[in-house]
Amino acid sequence: MRLRAEYRVESNLKFLGNLDMMNLMTRALRRAGIPFALSEGFNPHVKLSMGTVLPVGVWGKQEYFDLELIQDMQSDEFIAKMNGVLPLGMEIQRCIKLEDKQAALMKIINAASYTFILKNSDYDYAALPDTLMSQDKLLVKSRGKQKGIDKDLRPGIFEITVNFHEESVMISILVNVGEPVNVRYDELLDLLKDHGVQYEEVLDIFRSENFMRTGNIFCSPFEKVR
Amino acid sequence: MKDRIFRDILPNVSKPARYTGSEVNIICKDWDECRTKIAFAFPDVYEVGMSHVGSKILYGLINEKSDHLLERVYAPWPDMEKEMRSHEIPLFTLESFKAVNEFDVVGFTLQYELAITNVLNMLDMSDIPLWSKDRNEQYPLIIAGGPVVFNPEPYADFFDVFVVGDGEEVLLEFLDCCWENRHLKRQEQLLKLALLEGVYVPSLYSVHYNEDGTFNKMIPLYESVPDTIKKRVVADLDNAYFPVKPVLPYMNIIHDRAVLEVMRGCQRGCRFCHAGVVYRPVRERSIKTLKKQASEQLASTGYDEIGLTSLSTLDYSGVDSLVKDLVKEYREQGTGVSLPSLRVDAFSIELANEVQKVRKTTLTLAPEAGTQRMRDMINKNVSEEQLLTAVKAAFQSGWLSIKLYFMDGLPGETEEDLEGILELLKKIRTLGDENARKKVEIRASIASFVPKAHTPFQWQAQNTMEELEEKRRILSRNKMKRIKMSFHDSRTSYLEGVFSRGDRRLSASIYLAWQKGSKFDGWSEYFNFSRWMEAFRESEIKTEFYTSRLRSYDEVLPWDFIDTGVSKAYLQDEDEKAAAGITTGDCRWDGCTGCGICPAFAIDLDIKEEFRG
Ligand code: SF4
Repeated sequence: MRLRAEYRVESNLKFLGNLDMMNLMTRALRRAGIPFALSEGFNPHVKLSMGTVLPVGVWGKQEYFDLELIQDMQSDEFIAKMNGVLPLGMEIQRCIKLEDKQAALMKIINAASYTFILKNSDYDYAALPDTLMSQDKLLVKSRGKQKGIDKDLRPGIFEITVNFHEESVMISILVNVGEPVNVRYDELLDLLKDHGVQYEEVLDIFRSENFMRTGNIFCSPFEKVR
Repeated sequence: MKDRIFRDILPNVSKPARYTGSEVNIICKDWDECRTKIAFAFPDVYEVGMSHVGSKILYGLINEKSDHLLERVYAPWPDMEKEMRSHEIPLFTLESFKAVNEFDVVGFTLQYELAITNVLNMLDMSDIPLWSKDRNEQYPLIIAGGPVVFNPEPYADFFDVFVVGDGEEVLLEFLDCCWENRHLKRQEQLLKLALLEGVYVPSLYSVHYNEDGTFNKMIPLYESVPDTIKKRVVADLDNAYFPVKPVLPYMNIIHDRAVLEVMRGCQRGCRFCHAGVVYRPVRERSIKTLKKQASEQLASTGYDEIGLTSLSTLDYSGVDSLVKDLVKEYREQGTGVSLPSLRVDAFSIELANEVQKVRKTTLTLAPEAGTQRMRDMINKNVSEEQLLTAVKAAFQSGWLSIKLYFMDGLPGETEEDLEGILELLKKIRTLGDENARKKVEIRASIASFVPKAHTPFQWQAQNTMEELEEKRRILSRNKMKRIKMSFHDSRTSYLEGVFSRGDRRLSASIYLAWQKGSKFDGWSEYFNFSRWMEAFRESEIKTEFYTSRLRSYDEVLPWDFIDTGVSKAYLQDEDEKAAAGITTGDCRWDGCTGCGICPAFAIDLDIKEEFRG
């Protein structure tokens, strides 16, 4: 049986690397006594596949993994057992049974939304979405594969929204993940800085959602299953 | 403070998970409810310190079994240090994020000599004066334990107290005593602490030297202060505390697995080995206890590997059934067993094969020397035939690479002994090519011998830097196909040699070296030899006095007052036998060889199982 789980990573765990996350999850699976499937041969590993890497320094509201089990298990039971052993700041929120032919998460997640929490200041945040979206090109220095060369983020940005709270402002940016333009959160940060947002005003950053996009339709990896 | 660290500092440093705390199984006790508060400081980076078994024991023991509180702190990596200093964040513990100087005691564990510069740096980052004499009761008591403190003298001026021997045997008593005397002045506290067995308070002694610079004597300044310090020993290891809920790190650490300490001590009697003397006698845990600890640790951590540790795990009486049972029991879940360096014989290879069923490991053997003559001198009771038989068995059962440990710079070493290492490596390669299914890889790691206090070689001269360099030249003269040689930095070994048999006069050099920027001296990217040499020059220390000087048997040694239980007569006898090439038996198999430790502690070798194999 395969299942897909959605989990949350709080701020206190945002400094974990991808490998650390994998270890955390497999060790939790072992502590919880989940009947996971193992790969064959030497150095067997748990058949767990995580969604796109959560960058170090960023926490996540809705992250995903797929897991193969050797025995059927109810979603409720899985969630209860896992949440009983997961460390503070990590929680399974939902879980669903997958059909065998469902493609791996890494292949299907192609969009994500990053949220930047900023200190409210004189800066005209309300105008930011239009300022950015109306431009033909949004150039930053790439922080990804071709480090340092100019990279145009514009085709990879689908939407920018701004929400005001009492003392803070939340800027959410919906971006493309993977080909053709892989937009990284740190490149977005550079973009904001280039447009006058002070680095000191960034209080926190999280990834709010991961999506499977077809055209203009954005689905969560859960909706797609149903 | 925690918020500032998370927001302003951690995004800018490498491996921030070293500093976040909140790991699974962390114990955060209520500060105000606890009695003595101790910050347990490991003077190296997180992933090294978190791998240390002794620290795990003390962490669990104090926090689970007493009303005291023990929190962890590791040396911040230089990038983190820089950030902390520029943001004026003092050194903090991972449990409560409190500044280290708010604790009653700061306990360092000294696992190797050169860690001392990190100790000074950590004190400095805590705003604690480095010299013991500059600290009154407003500051925490600064204490140290671990293998290095069997010769504490080079560090005596920095610490208020040293704790000698098995830590779990003395630390509770120590913290109780701190609590009872918390209202006293520092000097009076120290006088009370000095009454505990295994506790050494360096400021309560005056030290005298002879005109030729050798050590003369040490005199207690008060009548109540003992003139020798006897190491503490856990008599019943099987029933001693061992943590089954160790803190589970988020990031990868050096030894990232559940651990079983199958025994403590070693009875083989290698003449160069410090641990072999100071942790004697051998005390084992029973298979029953170990299996229980394994299952509880796996349940509390979710690790997929169990490591069996000790100085010589293959000598553990229950090793055969323990390994086989563990493999059988946990194989289904993909959980493997790992063995450290193997004993050089066919039985070890058989067990290694067993372990391999689940997880591939590297095969590590330590013949230490290249010729029979030299192996007899150091009492490494391994014959070439045994070694070759073992290696052949390994190649036949499918191993394609082998790692071998050797030492150079041993007393009485000649060019022939070095050639012997090379010959041996070639023989092993040939055996591999004849017996394995593919061409084999041999890796040889060569460390320089450092004479250590309390060993039969404590009187011996260490090779000079020039001699060591020359030996390396000989060893690496000809490139050998599929044999990779790696050398420990001989400058590091040389420096260790200064401290391993040093005295109190070295403290000024240590201080200067730290002032000049020395830290993380165990890391090649930070180690700077010339800075140390400058520090010695400026403090007028002649390092050859400590390293390359052959001592006479009747010289009083600065560490003689630390009583490990071993008799000096035995050590001398062993040193003489070494020169004559006479070996000494192994007291597990051949009966007591009279080192004196068992009678000194009124205990005996504690062997738990019927050995087979
Ligand atoms: S006293 Fe005898 S039996 Fe005990 S450790 Fe020494 S040599 Fe071995």
